[in-house]
Amino acid sequence: MKTLGLEFYKIKRRKVILTMLAFLGVQALWGLWALNDPKDWELASGWMSLLYSLSVLDGIMLPTVMSVLASRLADIEHKGNTYKQLETLRSAGSLYHAKAVCGLIILTGMILAQFAFFIFLGYCLGYTGNPDTKYYLLSFVLKLASNFVLFLLQLALSMLFANQMIPLVAGLCGSMVALLLMFVSTSSFLPWGGNLSAALVRMDWNETTRVITYYYRTFSPRETVDVIFIFVWIIVFYTMGRYLFTHREA
Amino acid sequence: MASTNLIETHNLTKQYGKTRCVNSLQMQVPKGTVYGFLGPNGAGKSTTLKMILGLAKPTEGSIVLFGMQVSDKNRIRLLANTGSLIESPSYYGHLTGEENLQILQTLKGCPKSDIDKVLQIVRLNEARRKKVSHYSLGMKQRLGLAAALLGFPGLLILDEPTNGLDPAGIQEMRDLICTLPSEYGITVVVSSHLLSEIDQMADHVGIIRKGKLVYQDTLQSLHSHAKRQLALRTDKPATVISLLHQDGLEVEQEEGYLLIPLMDDAYVAGLCRRLVGQNISLYRVEKREKSLEDIFLSLTGKESSL
Repeated sequence: MKTLGLEFYKIKRRKVILTMLAFLGVQALWGLWALNDPKDWELASGWMSLLYSLSVLDGIMLPTVMSVLASRLADIEHKGNTYKQLETLRSAGSLYHAKAVCGLIILTGMILAQFAFFIFLGYCLGYTGNPDTKYYLLSFVLKLASNFVLFLLQLALSMLFANQMIPLVAGLCGSMVALLLMFVSTSSFLPWGGNLSAALVRMDWNETTRVITYYYRTFSPRETVDVIFIFVWIIVFYTMGRYLFTHREA
Repeated sequence: MASTNLIETHNLTKQYGKTRCVNSLQMQVPKGTVYGFLGPNGAGKSTTLKMILGLAKPTEGSIVLFGMQVSDKNRIRLLANTGSLIESPSYYGHLTGEENLQILQTLKGCPKSDIDKVLQIVRLNEARRKKVSHYSLGMKQRLGLAAALLGFPGLLILDEPTNGLDPAGIQEMRDLICTLPSEYGITVVVSSHLLSEIDQMADHVGIIRKGKLVYQDTLQSLHSHAKRQLALRTDKPATVISLLHQDGLEVEQEEGYLLIPLMDDAYVAGLCRRLVGQNISLYRVEKREKSLEDIFLSLTGKESSL
């Protein structure tokens, strides 16, 4: 706990929260522009379309955002050459764990803020009824897990490479991959596909009527494996990152 | 009987690929001393210190700290009573000096009042609320020392602590290191590639060359290796040699000089009179001393820097 508390102390003045808020600001601006002035049929399926849109947005943006978050947490150690001092006071494993948990807490706060803003926006726009609590809660959990996968992957890279361009470029490439996966597959067999494969709302676009129908998905056994895979990635990336970090020499 | 050594290494070896950076090192650091760890650049000083601090894993051998063999399980517990400054100071540039120390104070679990004390010792009190990124190199180095001193540990390991300091800063750092054992009961291991630096700080010295410890004893003992001779230059060396042999002295010849053991003033005065009396021209009478530098070079090789 002490080590975790210090992680937050160390990022003082690093504007990590501000960076995350900037990302939310971009999404908020998009929301205000794209969701403004909805038609009647859009109001009826508003809560579902919101979940769908957020999955797509996050799928593209979050690989980059997670690379920024991981880099902000790790580069303070590289810049100040601090590992060689910290590792005489704490084990490398516990230092790694504290960074991972710190990132998870920030990510949780960020997704909570995102949900809070868009639900508020939904009410302001007059969406019919209330958001479906079950689907929104499940979406929150799956979104958190999918993006924690990306964070852990980026954290491993950021902790291991002093040059933060490497993890940042990996994050940008991740966003590209996520974009491609939208057209190819939404499988979370690739970590960047998690946001899409875990989306609970699917869309059906009628070419003739040009009307979009949203629906809550049912999980086929194959799709359930996709979701399970997200949690497998968490274990794999955490274990791999921690192993590599603890087995390198400061 | 309990050992009085705070650090002991047994056959400590570190190999990178086929290169042995540290080779079967048997280091012994007595408690309450300033141990100067001397060697040319690349001799294996930093690697050795990193292994002692658990930052590098030994290929072979073992380390005993505070009388206990270091293992992965007890490493952090043993190092809790150790402060270190390896190669360059560690710091968070976006935080103030005081905030940097607060992080380490929390990790070390020492009293908050220690921060004031160590800042006072390294004279950074006035700059405590300044961001470390705005510190000069010397200030960063002093902050590094303050961080190492937090909790006033039993053992302080300093790797080239005067690197990057101006002459005044170097002198200040040396003076401070010298006082640590007597004032705070701290045993200090300080590495350097500069003999003069170690000569001014340490009371025990270990000299490492190409990963091997080639000398380890008190500095006083190293000084006693210094060989004192009298050098004479005359126009008739052969005559003088036979004269000196008659006096029972061993004579060496070097670059036109005759070298004899350092004798007292009365003998030297008498010898001069006798030589002049025998019409021998005496060009030079010099006192020769094999300096610490000569000893260091002979131990570490001529290519070493001083």
